[in-house]
Amino acid sequence: MQAWSELGPIPFNSPSNLIFQNTRGFELSDFFELFIKQIQSPTLGFLIGGIVVASFGSQLAIPDAMYKFITFFLLLKIGLSAGIAIRNSNLTEILLPALGAVLIGILIVLISQFTLARLPGIRFTDAIATGGLFGAVSGSTLAAVLPQLEASKIPFEAWSAALYPFMDIPALVTAIVVASIYTSRKSADASDNVEIWPIIKESLQSSAVTAMLLGVALGILTRPESVYKGFYDLLFRGFLSVLMIIMGMEAAQRMNELRKVAQWFAIYAFIAPLVHGFIGFGVGLLIHKITGFSIGGAVVLAVIAASSSDISGPPTLRAGIPTANPSAYIGASTAIGTPVAIAIGIPLFIGIAQMIGG
Amino acid sequence: MSQQVWKLVIVGEEILSKKLIKLIKAAGATGYTVNSAGGEGSRNVRSTGDPIVSHTLSNVKIEVLTGTRELADKIIHEIEAKFYADYSIITYIYQVEALRDHKF
Repeated sequence: MQAWSELGPIPFNSPSNLIFQNTRGFELSDFFELFIKQIQSPTLGFLIGGIVVASFGSQLAIPDAMYKFITFFLLLKIGLSAGIAIRNSNLTEILLPALGAVLIGILIVLISQFTLARLPGIRFTDAIATGGLFGAVSGSTLAAVLPQLEASKIPFEAWSAALYPFMDIPALVTAIVVASIYTSRKSADASDNVEIWPIIKESLQSSAVTAMLLGVALGILTRPESVYKGFYDLLFRGFLSVLMIIMGMEAAQRMNELRKVAQWFAIYAFIAPLVHGFIGFGVGLLIHKITGFSIGGAVVLAVIAASSSDISGPPTLRAGIPTANPSAYIGASTAIGTPVAIAIGIPLFIGIAQMIGG
Repeated sequence: MSQQVWKLVIVGEEILSKKLIKLIKAAGATGYTVNSAGGEGSRNVRSTGDPIVSHTLSNVKIEVLTGTRELADKIIHEIEAKFYADYSIITYIYQVEALRDHKF
């Protein structure tokens, strides 16, 4: 059992969250039991429900404005709780996980360069853009893992959600830089230098990252505890369930896009979130050994690594790598990457964390 | 009280709309109209007109009225040079009768 003080204070967790669940050990049957339990969680049920209704061609449509508001709300809430946690914690604790997030973001793009981009019939820029999108982070997947961690009674640092931009931005920048170097080499136009600052600026200006950073700033600089408890925390799970239906419907609709591109994208989209998740979990465990970063925090890092961007990444990549086919990367991410990260990744890493934490 | 003017129509990716509008204004057009659009084209990478999550696959239709053919051609050539290679975009032009002639 790890001493709670090592993890730093976490606001608003119910007392039950402060107790590590003691499981008997590393039995495989235990793991499957935990895994099945996670699959039955409401988050996942709503996601699958969305996929099913859209696959049957239902007329059900959730207004676009609703979707925008919900993602804004969820990321603001996550930002607020992260900001409050940062205010109450030692800043040096955050440095190493943030550095880990940056390195994972870059590594994911490089992996795609040496795997997906080498496959037959795959255009280099399509592969790099897909790698960039899978390195980038999905706000909906991040929003889905946090309540599941709480429900599984695994403590985590609330600021760990603020690792989002530390992985998101480096992944998009790396993808755009790698693709630009490749294109300029091909056209023998070496003078065409990539400007990195506009890409970072665009990522920071994206609606998802802005909402989260606004929450972090408000959490650090103001004392939003009362409105957080009385409004944001109360509505979080309800809105998350609606978002899961939307993501499910979106996934089913984007399958059409994905069918038009090479099958390798679908295979990559299925395997990559889990491989990236394991890399994230491994890095998280390493930091856990060094600094006492919690196992729950390692799960958050794993899920951030496993997730692929749905909202903020695609427009940045479309502008940054115009030669890449958006059907390839958006189809791969939204139709397969996100459902795999939520439906398999989250239960998998929570299950592993419960076994290790016991 | 009417005048023959040129109506230039650009149907393209929504993410280009800011850049297109900047280009149109810089060329000297006095105004433009933007609609969201949906459909399917030869490029076949954006078959949907549905509003979608990321908006990256959404389309817009921009209409510009110009008093001279030269101005319309200037806009078309700039769009061609900048965007035709990598983006789903189509432009067409026809002559229409504007009912407020002093505007152009």
